[in-house]
Amino acid sequence: MDLNPFDVNNSVSCRLTSEIPEVCRTEDCCLGIDEAGRGPVLGPMVYGICFCPVSKKEDLKDLKVADSKTLSEPERENLFQTLDEAKSYVGWALQILSPNTISTSMLQRTKYNLNALSHDTAIGLVQFALDRGVQLKEVYVDTVGPAEKYEEKLSKLFPGIKVTVRPKADSLFPIVSAASICAKVARDRVVKGWNFAEDLGEVDTDYGSGYPNDPKTKAWLLKYLDPVFGYPQFVRFSWSTAQTLMDSKAVSVHWDDDEEDGEKAAQRQNNRSMLSYFGASAGGNDQNGTHQTHRYFTDRRLKSLNTL
Amino acid sequence: MSCNTSVTRLCAPSVGQAQQVTVHLMPCEIEHNGPALVSQYLTATTKDNKQEKMVSFRGRGLKGQELSCPQGYSGLVLKEINKPGSDQEDRTVKVSSVFDKLTYWNLETPPNSDDTVVMAMDWPELAEAIHGPVED
Repeated sequence: MDLNPFDVNNSVSCRLTSEIPEVCRTEDCCLGIDEAGRGPVLGPMVYGICFCPVSKKEDLKDLKVADSKTLSEPERENLFQTLDEAKSYVGWALQILSPNTISTSMLQRTKYNLNALSHDTAIGLVQFALDRGVQLKEVYVDTVGPAEKYEEKLSKLFPGIKVTVRPKADSLFPIVSAASICAKVARDRVVKGWNFAEDLGEVDTDYGSGYPNDPKTKAWLLKYLDPVFGYPQFVRFSWSTAQTLMDSKAVSVHWDDDEEDGEKAAQRQNNRSMLSYFGASAGGNDQNGTHQTHRYFTDRRLKSLNTL
Repeated sequence: MSCNTSVTRLCAPSVGQAQQVTVHLMPCEIEHNGPALVSQYLTATTKDNKQEKMVSFRGRGLKGQELSCPQGYSGLVLKEINKPGSDQEDRTVKVSSVFDKLTYWNLETPPNSDDTVVMAMDWPELAEAIHGPVED
């Protein structure tokens, strides 16, 4: 697994793929989908697909792939090696969603939530396999949301393919376990070797699991909080853990689409004393009394300045 | 308010000594007046694709463009030397730095010719046409 294409620009989403086994283009295939790193406040979320001929399902079982969460990191690395050695009939593809992609999507003007992002990523990967000529007949998907609706959505999008969406699919179907191993191995490697684009000197990489309740992750988030910029792009700004810390320890930032109290916003933008209305230029027009500024200037927010 | 009688003086000799700086115009209000690690965070993560610049700030995607100051104009960053105790006192500001271009950032959409700041840069040319000497 060569992570270099992601490492050179880890601010965007990146797709990594194995070779497509020839046999997958000629025989009916099954495909599993799983994700790694949905919950952590640090690092990317990785979506993985793994596929092989339906006739090779038993062989896959013999490789002893299991749900990645029940395996230790070295065990996962070993199993990934095993999968790689089975490349004559097993193929995989990954979509690495950078933490910056997650932040900017979830905080977009028109919100793009994590579920929608996840679904679109999974759909994109299935389409990728189809486009590369994989003869897909069965798709197995692990889900955290309601399974039936998702299954219906995928079945409609991919007619002719039998779609099975199940919670904990990674422990039920070996092809999903295989996908979860690929995704988790990639996520672990990316987090471990994160290439900070920010110029922060030597960065302490003892950030723990990246989960918000991990004390090491918490300590790291406190240590690397910048009062103006908040965090490096390694952190998911859309996570409440990050938001809460910035609210209490960083300076406030206001955007024009903030959903804040209208009165408060008005006060901030125009904190003029009541007394000013009794002044010489009542009405607030800084020009001398009756003079009305032309729209040309108000459109450009140009003002003539006589005081600071 | 403009109803007081205080005078604001610009300390002119400071222009020559002032340093050229890079300026970013952000599409948000940052409640902070003071130094910030701009080059370590913002500059270091800015992606330059052709005409368009991209970066994110506080987890929000920004698109930017370099804007030059109008021909014959300079941008000034002013700093007040002694803050007066009341608004009746005269004030003196010095030029702390100068700039001839700035990076204008928009939230998610690329800057375009309808944006206030971009349009504002037309004024000096129009002013020249209206108020400048008439040539034959």
